[in-house]
Amino acid sequence: MVQHEHKEDPGEISHYEFSGIDERHGRIPRWLGFVYVVMLIWMVYYLVRFWTDKG
Amino acid sequence: MSSVAAPVDRDDLVDREVVLRFLLSAAFWLVFAPTIGVILSVKFNYYDFLGNVSWLTWGRLRPVHVMGVVFGAFSSAIVGLTYYMVPRLCGVRMYKENWSRALVWIWNIALTAALVSLPLGQNIGIEAGEFPLWANVIIEIALILITIQVIVTVVRRKEPRIYVTLWYLTAAYVWTVFNYAFGHFILPYSMPGVNNAAMHGLYIHYVVGLWITPAGLAVIYYFLPLSAQRPLYSHKLSLVGFWSLAFFYPFVGTHHYIYSPIPYWTQTIAIVASMMLIIPVWTVLQNFYGTFVGNWKRFQESYTAKFLIIGALYYLIGCFQGSTEALRGVQRLTHFTDFVIAHSHLTVFGTFILWVTAGMYYVIPRVSGHELYSKALAQWHYWLTLTGFSLMAAVLTLQGLMQGTMLEVGADFVDSMVVMKPYWFTRTLAGATMDIGALLGMWNFYMTVVHGRRIEAPASGAAAPEPLWT
Repeated sequence: MVQHEHKEDPGEISHYEFSGIDERHGRIPRWLGFVYVVMLIWMVYYLVRFWTDKG
Repeated sequence: MSSVAAPVDRDDLVDREVVLRFLLSAAFWLVFAPTIGVILSVKFNYYDFLGNVSWLTWGRLRPVHVMGVVFGAFSSAIVGLTYYMVPRLCGVRMYKENWSRALVWIWNIALTAALVSLPLGQNIGIEAGEFPLWANVIIEIALILITIQVIVTVVRRKEPRIYVTLWYLTAAYVWTVFNYAFGHFILPYSMPGVNNAAMHGLYIHYVVGLWITPAGLAVIYYFLPLSAQRPLYSHKLSLVGFWSLAFFYPFVGTHHYIYSPIPYWTQTIAIVASMMLIIPVWTVLQNFYGTFVGNWKRFQESYTAKFLIIGALYYLIGCFQGSTEALRGVQRLTHFTDFVIAHSHLTVFGTFILWVTAGMYYVIPRVSGHELYSKALAQWHYWLTLTGFSLMAAVLTLQGLMQGTMLEVGADFVDSMVVMKPYWFTRTLAGATMDIGALLGMWNFYMTVVHGRRIEAPASGAAAPEPLWT
């Protein structure tokens, strides 16, 4: 039997009835994903390089 | 005065009187605390100004300014907005509303007494945690009661999903109940020496990062889609922003003590965590601007949108300053200079005070049942705040970099102070400008409540709210 993976549509909108707020499921833009990766690599580098004072 | 039409909301879920009382008291603190800041700034220009009266000296007044902004202006507004947002996001009235009615008075009387006691010399000596013990007990109990109200209301909600505003608000209250106790009941009475300094770094940044930041973000996530009249750009980004803030912020505080005897690796973790805050900040801003794209005309039409948008600009600048100034090289240049003061003002006032002000522009007409009293006063509020604050932030940043550079190349400290004189004078003028703006804005809120024109029922047939306090 073929399993169909459920993917939420990024344009899907949830409505909050009592406040009147609408919210898209949305996505993470590519440029921001790139920032996340760069920052995580920098974090590992900095922690290793500057864990102790090497004078 | 020309009045501005406000859309009609049926706020059956909201205790409008409690919300109004909290927001009007916040309006008072929003004028009072920055005014103390302006008085303090004059002391930079005239060193003996009010220097002969002990309770008006720098050391006595500065805590009034800081504590007045954090716990008077910002926190009172947040509590008022909490009582507006939480019932509407949950679809049920606030748990134990009678507590709220008592808390308005308890909160404000305790704050007033505490802020009066500071110039009289009753100060427990922890920066940003300076109120005397008796006031701290009252404020802690108030925070616990509000936290219980929020959590129980969320648990009893009718709305099936929990909107991002509720995550941030609940987290902010829970974190702050613990942090307030930590900073006011543990730090002053235990942990001597360098350990106390390290822990104080954590406390003071938890006030900013685990109270002001999440509570402020709760406000923008609520009012952003409503004022932009568009769906929030991305639920997924809200998740990333919330969890990255929760993960990185707890380690930030020690960046106040770079180059100190605190272990090197601890400082490194604080630096890394500070830089990693770029992730939640840029994530929130992508969500912010993504929501507004396609409906920028709201910037023209809505004062809520205006204050949210300029607050977001200051958020970008102030947080980038804050992250990068933790780096050892930048810290060496900027520590003990006005660059740090620029950062704290850009974030606390430029961002979060302006965001709660945006919330007040949205909520006060709706809960009072009156249209905004004067568009002209609101325009003056906006432009005086924008020009005054932009000038202040620019001047403080520039003079901080100049101070740091002069000291770095070996200039005499006194010489570096002499060079600062015109900048400090400009800072006072800029502060007075934004303070006048705040005064006009808060007067407008007061007049809206007592003399604003009654909101008319819309053509849809929905009933207009009954005005309060006419």
